[in-house]
Amino acid sequence: MAEERGALVEFEDLAVSYGLVQALAGVSGAFPPGPTGLLGPNGAGKTTLLKTLLGFLTPDRGRMSAFGLDPTREPLEVRRRLGYMPEQDCHLPGMTAAGYVAFAGELSGLPRDEAISRAHEVLYYVGLGEARYRNVETYSTGMKQRAKLAQALVHDPDLLLLDEPTNGLDPQGREEMLTLIRDVATRRGMSLILCSHLLKDVERVCENVIVLSQGRVARAGTIRELTGARRQVFDVRFKGDAAAVLTDLKDQGGEWREEEDGVRLFLPDGQGPETVFRLAKEAGVQIRHLRPGVETLEDVFLRALGHEIQG
Amino acid sequence: MPIHDQGYRRYEARGPLREIRFWPITREALRMVLSKRAFLGLLALSFLPFIVRAIQVYIVTRFPEAGRVLPVDGRLFGEFLNQQVGFTILLSIFGASGLIANDLRTGGILVYLSRPLTRRDYVLGKLGVPLALSLAVTLVPGLLLYAVAIGLAPDQFLRWDLAWIGPAIVLHAATISLFVSLLVLAISALSRSARVAGLAFFGLIFGLEIARQVIQNAFGRAEAMLLSVQADLQSLGASLFGLPIGDLALHWAAPAAVLVVVALLCLAVLRARVRAVEIVT
Repeated sequence: MAEERGALVEFEDLAVSYGLVQALAGVSGAFPPGPTGLLGPNGAGKTTLLKTLLGFLTPDRGRMSAFGLDPTREPLEVRRRLGYMPEQDCHLPGMTAAGYVAFAGELSGLPRDEAISRAHEVLYYVGLGEARYRNVETYSTGMKQRAKLAQALVHDPDLLLLDEPTNGLDPQGREEMLTLIRDVATRRGMSLILCSHLLKDVERVCENVIVLSQGRVARAGTIRELTGARRQVFDVRFKGDAAAVLTDLKDQGGEWREEEDGVRLFLPDGQGPETVFRLAKEAGVQIRHLRPGVETLEDVFLRALGHEIQG
Repeated sequence: MPIHDQGYRRYEARGPLREIRFWPITREALRMVLSKRAFLGLLALSFLPFIVRAIQVYIVTRFPEAGRVLPVDGRLFGEFLNQQVGFTILLSIFGASGLIANDLRTGGILVYLSRPLTRRDYVLGKLGVPLALSLAVTLVPGLLLYAVAIGLAPDQFLRWDLAWIGPAIVLHAATISLFVSLLVLAISALSRSARVAGLAFFGLIFGLEIARQVIQNAFGRAEAMLLSVQADLQSLGASLFGLPIGDLALHWAAPAAVLVVVALLCLAVLRARVRAVEIVT
């Protein structure tokens, strides 16, 4: 088992398959307290990991523990301490938001009176206070997402699982949802797993990140560790055949990735723009634009996936 | 800080898991079903036969000569319950055909199954709805009718040789209710539309009943009865209450076996369809 002190969720050599399709191929890792991002492209196994944690899926091999409990053997105890906001639409037809969230609280084990009282509080908290007596089916996508968050929060879980919470939201709605999630994590002190393929969403909220790719853990660590100043980054536009420059760069330990309007260069620590100018001069290529950049989570993510960086 | 922003607070009073976890599901679904006026109208209508039978009992106890035309004995209760089968089916169509179908359509099933609930809790919670509705129009009026009969004619009904009536009412009402509830729930689990599930349930019950009648009239084969679950239920009632069996002339074990097989199939369907994860292989 991953030796992460105080981790809420740990998993080791976890393999899960749907029939012949292997969704998780022996992943190991841990989710520490606080907000953690679970990143990966579609089909990477993010939702499968969450569903295994919820006890919906039985692993083919490996182990998983949440709060020291095995989700396969004690799914009810585990689920009681989890709040789950699924990716897809989920509401109960014919119910107002207040009724829906109170009912969700009651299903989680809250006494009825307490569930009703908390439902109102949580709906105000997520910004649906004024609309809480409206049928959820009449809500906009953004409001439905908030109602989904409210039903996941109502019983005050120890760990909140958010599966693509900004799906289908316009930029403003996405911003508001991320602000809300960040507030849940920071001001309310709730641990959460933010599962997303949108890197910026994770960067906004999380301190730790696990990157999944093709059912395996590609990278894991704090965002600072993953995006720290290990490499110099430059966005460059060349005039002429840049292939020779890039080949020389590779020999010097650098990496690069083609972007829409140029090339993003990653130089090893200790090398700067002078290296780029020198290599360009040697290859007889003009530099039309050079701007220092910061290695983003997207860079880390793409490098972790192993097929975007040309080096 | 706006007052509403002060709202969210931690909840520290988490207790042990509930023993009976399905009840909130049944209660909430019943509340929603019973909030529809049209449905309440149908429910009220299904008590009409009870009123008619109660009047029949009253007339016969007051005017014994009327008993030659409208005999009042143990068979009355069997006839009454068999008559109520149609109402349990109608109430199930309008009150229960969307119970699982709607949850599958809206993803609501995840709201349940991501909580400390098992799939069995979920199915039991949903099953409680058609079961309660069916018992409300079979068991409750059946026992009430028996009480009315005892109240109006204690000499006639409060006898040891008729003591079987009470348990027979309970047994037949429970059989009808449980079977119809399982069937409507299984059909609901096979669709994502309440309307489609309702039509399928209606088609299955009444379509098979029509097919039974056609086959039975054309070929005179009593075995055709096994085709229709409605006829099977009524046949069991006829055996239990000693009613004239007419064209339902098969030993009670045959329809009982059919009902058991169908009920097991329903459980298999529910087991396969009520899942938090849809697995396509």
